[in-house]
Amino acid sequence: MTTLASAEPYERAATGRKADGVRFVPGQPDMWVLVLFESLVFTTYFTVYVFRRTQSPDLFLQSQAHLNLRVGVFNTLVLLVSSWSVARCVQTAREGSFRTALNNAYLTMLFGFLFLVSKVLEWVTEIEQGFSFTTDEFFSFYYFLTAIHFLHLLIGFVFLGVAVYQIKSPARRSQELVETCATYWHTIDFLWVLIFALLYVMR
Amino acid sequence: MSAATTGAAPEVPSGSLLRKIVWHWRYDEKRELWIGWWTLVVFYNLYGLLFFVIARTQPPPKPSLTAPEIVQWFHDRHYGLLYGYAIVSIVGGATAIMNATLAYTMRRMSVSRAFAYSYLVIYALATLPGMLIMGVACTVGAMRPDRNPALMSWLYDFAFLSFEGTMGVFLIGSLVWMVAVLLDRNRVFPKWFGYLNLCNALTEVVVAPAWIFKRGVFAWDGGIAWWTNMAVFVTYTTVFLTLLRKMILREDFGTGPLPELQSDHPPEPGTREAA
Repeated sequence: MTTLASAEPYERAATGRKADGVRFVPGQPDMWVLVLFESLVFTTYFTVYVFRRTQSPDLFLQSQAHLNLRVGVFNTLVLLVSSWSVARCVQTAREGSFRTALNNAYLTMLFGFLFLVSKVLEWVTEIEQGFSFTTDEFFSFYYFLTAIHFLHLLIGFVFLGVAVYQIKSPARRSQELVETCATYWHTIDFLWVLIFALLYVMR
Repeated sequence: MSAATTGAAPEVPSGSLLRKIVWHWRYDEKRELWIGWWTLVVFYNLYGLLFFVIARTQPPPKPSLTAPEIVQWFHDRHYGLLYGYAIVSIVGGATAIMNATLAYTMRRMSVSRAFAYSYLVIYALATLPGMLIMGVACTVGAMRPDRNPALMSWLYDFAFLSFEGTMGVFLIGSLVWMVAVLLDRNRVFPKWFGYLNLCNALTEVVVAPAWIFKRGVFAWDGGIAWWTNMAVFVTYTTVFLTLLRKMILREDFGTGPLPELQSDHPPEPGTREAA
C-alpha cells in the first residue's frame, strides 16, 4: 500500500495519467471550478475596462502614461519567477524530494511578498503624485484591478501555507493538496499577466 | 431510519399532487428540511418579484439623480413601494427558517458547531440592512411624496446605501461556509462549492467602491459593483439551492459521511444491486 501510494506521483508526473490509465488534472478537480469562475469574473472586469476605454481613449492614454512601465515589468517578472518556484515545488514533491519542495514553497512566498511590497510602494508613489482612486476613470480601474488582484494574492498565501503544512510532515504530504495550492497560485499569476497587459501595455 | 421503510407508514400514493403533499406532511421524516428548502425557493422567487417587478428598486436607479428626479422616482413607484414593501415586511421573517436550514447543513458536517452559529448570527443581521431598513426608508419616502426634496434625497441615499451595506455580511458568511465545506469530512457538499463560496465572497468586495462613486461602473448601479456582483450571486444561489436539495435527499440523520444518491452511482452491471 505504501509503495503504491508513493509510486503514484511518479506515474502521474511522467504520463499525465493515474495508475489505472485515467487522465487527471493537477490537484483537486474542484479547484479548477474556482479557476473557471474567477477567470469568468475577471473577464467581465476586463471587458468593462476595454469598453470604457473605447469611450474615452484619450483620457485613458494620458493617464496610462503616468504609470511606471518598468515597475510593471518588474512585478510581472517577480510573479512569473514565483510561478516557476511553485511549479518546482510540485515537481520535487512528486519526486519525493520534500526538503527541496519546502524550500521552493518558501521561495514562492518570498517572491509573492516582494510583489506585495513593490505594489504598495507603487501605489504610494502614484498617490504622492496626485493620482488616487477617484482622480479619473483610468485610475479607478487601475486601483480596482490591482487591489482585487492584491487581495487574491493575499489569499494565495493561505494556500501556500496549506502546501507548506502538507509537505512538512511525513504523516500528511497530500500531493493532491500541494497541486491544488499551486494551481491557485498559477491562476493569480495568469490574471496578473492579463492585468499588466491591459493597464500598462495596451495602447 | 425512515418511517416509510420500517413499514410504519403507507406507500407514497400515486396520482394527485395534493395526496402526495399530504403523505409527505404526515410521514416524511425529512418534512422540516423540505419546508426549509421550499421556503428558500419561494422566498428568493418572491424577493425577485417584489424588488424587481413590484417595488422596482432593482436594478438600482442612478445614485447621481438630482433632488427633483428623486422626488419623481418616488412618485413613479408610489404604490409599488407601499404594497411591495408591505409584503416584504410580512415575509421577512421567513429568513429565520432559511438561515436555520442553511445552518443545519453545517451542523451535519464534521466541523465545529461554531460555524453554524456564526452563520446564523451574521445572516440574521443581513436581513436588517438588505431588506427591512431599505424597505422602511423607501416606504417612508413613498408615503408622503410632498416632503422636502432634500429629505427625499436623504431617504433615497439611506435606502440604497443600506442595501449595499449587506456586502460585508455576505462576504463573511460566504467565507464561513467556505471554510466549513473545505474542512468537512462528511461530504455534505462537494469541495468545489467551498471554492465557489470564495468566488462569491470576492465579488462582494467589489461592491465597496459604491460607497465612494456616484457615477460609472463602480457606483451602486454600475456594471461592476452591481451587475457583475448580481450575476455571480444569482449563479451562487442557484447552485446552493440545487446542492441543498441533493443534500436533503442524501440525509440519513446519522453523524458520519452522507451516503451518495443511488442515481449518482448506479450499481455495476452484474452486481446484486443491479439485478
